[in-house]
Amino acid sequence: MTDRRTWLIVLLTLVVLATMPSIPAAAQTRFVFANESPYDTMDPHAAFDVGRVAVRLNLYDGLYRWLDNPPKLEPWLAESHTVSPDGLTYTFKLRRGAKFHDGAEITAEDVRYSAERILALKKGAAALLATMLAPGATRALDRYTVQFTLLKPSAIFVAVVPEVHVVNAALLKKNEKDNDWGAAWLTSNDAGSGSYMLTRYDPAVGFIAKRFAGHFMPWGPKYIDEIEFRLVKEDNTRVLGMIKGDYQGTGGYLPNDQVKRLREAPNVKIIEQESMRIMMFQVNNQRSPLTDVHVRRAISYAFDYDGFNKDILGGSVERNPVPIPNNLWGVPRDVKGYAYDLDKAKAELGKAAAKVDRPLTVGYLQGFSQTEQAATVMANGLRKIGIDTKLTSELWPAMVERMKKPETSPDLVVYWISTYYADPNNWIGEMFHSGQWGTFKASSFYKNPKVDELLDVALRSTDRKIREKAYQDAARIVVDDAAGVWIYNTKYFGPWAKNLEGIRFSPIGNGQEMRWVYYAK
Amino acid sequence: MKTVGFVLTRLARDRSALFGLVLIAALLVTALLAPILATHPEDVFELHPAERLRGPSAAHWLGTDRMGADVYSRLLFGARITILIGVIAVGASLMVGVPVGLVAGYYHGWLSDALMRVSDVFLAVPQVVLAIAIAQTLGPSLPNVILALSATYWPWFARVVYAETRALQKEVFVESTAALGASPWRLTVLHVLPNIASPIIVRASIGMGFTILTAAALGFLGLGPPPPTPEWGRTIAESREFLPDAWWYATAPGLAIFLTVMGFNLLGDGLRDVLDPRLRRARIARDD
Amino acid sequence: MRLLALALHRLAWFVPTLLGLLVVTFVISRVVPADPVALVAGETATPAQVEALRHQLGYDRPLPVQFVEYVARLARGDMGTSIFTRRPIAEDLAHRLPATIELTVVAMLVSVLVGIPLGVLSAIWRNSPFDHGLRVVTVSGLAIASFWLGIMLQLLFAMRLGWTPLNGRLQGFPPRSITGFYLADAALTGDWPTFGAALLHLALPAATLAFPALATLVRFTRAGVLDVMQSSFVLYERAMGLPRAVIVWKYMLRSALTSTVTQIGLLFGILLAGAVVTEAVFDWPGIGTYAVNSILRSDYNAVMGFTVWAGTIFIVVNLLVDVAHTLVDPRERTT
Repeated sequence: MTDRRTWLIVLLTLVVLATMPSIPAAAQTRFVFANESPYDTMDPHAAFDVGRVAVRLNLYDGLYRWLDNPPKLEPWLAESHTVSPDGLTYTFKLRRGAKFHDGAEITAEDVRYSAERILALKKGAAALLATMLAPGATRALDRYTVQFTLLKPSAIFVAVVPEVHVVNAALLKKNEKDNDWGAAWLTSNDAGSGSYMLTRYDPAVGFIAKRFAGHFMPWGPKYIDEIEFRLVKEDNTRVLGMIKGDYQGTGGYLPNDQVKRLREAPNVKIIEQESMRIMMFQVNNQRSPLTDVHVRRAISYAFDYDGFNKDILGGSVERNPVPIPNNLWGVPRDVKGYAYDLDKAKAELGKAAAKVDRPLTVGYLQGFSQTEQAATVMANGLRKIGIDTKLTSELWPAMVERMKKPETSPDLVVYWISTYYADPNNWIGEMFHSGQWGTFKASSFYKNPKVDELLDVALRSTDRKIREKAYQDAARIVVDDAAGVWIYNTKYFGPWAKNLEGIRFSPIGNGQEMRWVYYAK
Repeated sequence: MKTVGFVLTRLARDRSALFGLVLIAALLVTALLAPILATHPEDVFELHPAERLRGPSAAHWLGTDRMGADVYSRLLFGARITILIGVIAVGASLMVGVPVGLVAGYYHGWLSDALMRVSDVFLAVPQVVLAIAIAQTLGPSLPNVILALSATYWPWFARVVYAETRALQKEVFVESTAALGASPWRLTVLHVLPNIASPIIVRASIGMGFTILTAAALGFLGLGPPPPTPEWGRTIAESREFLPDAWWYATAPGLAIFLTVMGFNLLGDGLRDVLDPRLRRARIARDD
Repeated sequence: MRLLALALHRLAWFVPTLLGLLVVTFVISRVVPADPVALVAGETATPAQVEALRHQLGYDRPLPVQFVEYVARLARGDMGTSIFTRRPIAEDLAHRLPATIELTVVAMLVSVLVGIPLGVLSAIWRNSPFDHGLRVVTVSGLAIASFWLGIMLQLLFAMRLGWTPLNGRLQGFPPRSITGFYLADAALTGDWPTFGAALLHLALPAATLAFPALATLVRFTRAGVLDVMQSSFVLYERAMGLPRAVIVWKYMLRSALTSTVTQIGLLFGILLAGAVVTEAVFDWPGIGTYAVNSILRSDYNAVMGFTVWAGTIFIVVNLLVDVAHTLVDPRERTT
């Protein structure tokens, strides 16, 4: 009996001791971010997604960088660039004296090596880059000038160039194994020049980085000394953690109910910004009966947009009826899109030549309950017009897999397309050009020569007005064809510790670039 | 040998077993009369997004879920799914496990060993993991859940039947009947089966409870029937992101599962006490 | 001796049983619809790149060939590499095992330290309100869905009261790894704040896991003590006038404990199985979530590796339990 009592006392003491340090202020110059996806690699060329953007933004630099909202391309490692008249040759002038974390100067050779490395590893932004740049087409003209020769003129090359994160060529060559471009080593190490340097990393936990005082961009008078980005999978845990002060920042695409809870917390502020991230159903245009435009239009009329956007999501999103974000240029402003109208839906079905005699498969993403709810709303609407459905869910990588071929892709799939670069091509171009089949954005398997031509024109030209008209025309056709069901454009509701200042949100970086941020007191 | 009447009379005197029986009866009634007992029977499919996540009220006795559907009504229809899964899965396990156990118990030598080792193979991996693997491979749906559960529960029947059969073989009456020339088939059906009926029944009752829990776990992990099926485990999973505010959303289906499983467990215990008091102490050692 | 015969007999069947297990798992894992090679290649890979990766990993060869190769490597102790983490599976398992073991051991400790005394007490105070009340709890213990219990505990203690964290094994980076058990490591390095934090993180999952085991233990202990209480030698001692407390501690507890030891093997099995679902609820980075994630991601080798490990453990534990049973209770000897 006595041992049990002593044991209890010891336990209680430990509990008290443990809870004490977690009360008030963490050191003022420390910042912890709760991320919903794991940082399974530190290699900036192995990933291209929004979930792991913190690594690329804070530990690495590119030639240019997207900043602020609406997103603007700012010179970063490069001071300027010129384009040859035929639109094939881009020449960038680097700034002098910029250094890597190990003290070596950044030269054109590092940029050349980085471009070749992305293409060779075939991960991350490689697929996108490979459509414009071939291996060997990058040259270091001199110590501070690098030149890219494109396969064909492309209006989006400069928009994509920020994804060529410059890595320390000499350091990687030293740690190379079996010609792997240092890939094995870079998975858990740092070869960058960014505002922060990696100090600790565990793929199951996250990473810690400390400030790189020698960064080429000048630091303000106030800054954060150490940043930590941590994997915290559950929404509820992230929200509770923000309220308790365990974290000072987390992802801004939380469900509306959680955002409301955070608004009420005294030590949290919500930064609201219009982002560019469309949620939509891809419709498999190649599979009967979806080959019939009337069936597709019926589906577009059968989704309860207001019920979903206003009731389920509490009005925290904006209806976005075309496959280009509302707040980006290229949207045809006169197009209203489809509304929830069961009568019109049934009328369209009546006009259809193809009969819907089987249940349609509706795919959603495991672990993303919003997609599950959207699929349920869609199923409900379809049921009302006499179409049966079968809901199926996969993890995102598995769904990406299925969406690569028209035979394996579900009839309808719901997910988001985020901003990889701020250009309409990121959405309508990659979604509806028939040359894009096999990529996860093009699981509509849409094929329309007129649209292809318009999208090609838009990519070739560098004249904004020509491009804008092309995208608007293409959007009109695609909407009329009901090639997909476009639901909303996301708003960013970023939870941050109240005493943080200097957060610069951009739809591409999602505010996770920590070099501008500081504690106000 | 025990007659049904005898069993029921003894059972009636056991208060907790009786309580179990009441719970099970309630479950059956709920499942059968769900369309009548439900206040919003259409909510198995219908959505009312504008009314989502409302607390318990006069209109919605257990509140509404994330789609605005009535939690109480969906709960009642969930009872149908629960019973369906339980009965079919346990039934199938029984129909596979009992013959396997009989054969393994009756014969000696390598066949018997092999059969028992096969059942060991299925028992080696935690049941829920095997069920997950099967459900994931075949795709989440009601039939696949039942298949997965049957495939993982039959060894329990096999083991019980095997042990009992072996024990019986040592009984004098069995040895003498065999010596008199009775065929294995006759022996089994007329003599062995009636004697092992009791442990099988007990195991079936406990198995119902256990199967229902595993089915709920599969539903919770998203491997059960897809939405909008009002399966209890799936409902609990859906409710998580709305806690702590919508506490009723998670509490109601959990209590439903609890009462159902408790009913079968209490009944099983009672049956065990009645059918073979000698088993009580020894059997605890071989419990689930 | 009979025991030796039993042990040898079981060991002889160990390899075929394991092989059977492997075949079952192999078939299941290869039949999955999703293609893990493509998943690993990434969302931007072209079909040509995926095929290249498949060839590089050796997954384009016929199934029986792959199986034979797998078994051959297994015999050398190589469980293969996880398609996802690109690390050897044995390493992944070793990395995650301590989390599950720590949780299971703490849960077992709780259930034993709380369960046995409660069982003894409820036997001594048979049919008292305490006994009846406890009976309700123990019956519930086996009827509650453990994932639901976990969620309810989270609701009360983590969300409403804020006494414990919501989930996870620890916030942020763990203490320096000596044993892999956070409690031990933190204690050994004198990192008491981390020790306390790890303990708080363990509180809810351990309680969830322990509940059904505790229920079983209470019931069993109670029955065992009741048995002993009615036995002749105890009645004799009581007639002789020995104080009840002495009788309790001298005979009943001892006999209850001996039989509990044989139960621990079985208990461990229950706990390990329960760990899978509990780990899912609390996002515990152990073997359970590893198994489930590997299955969901179609990580062939990881699923096989886990099966081998779990299968071996189970077969060994089963053997030990049977042996122990034979030793303890000659009546129950089975072959």
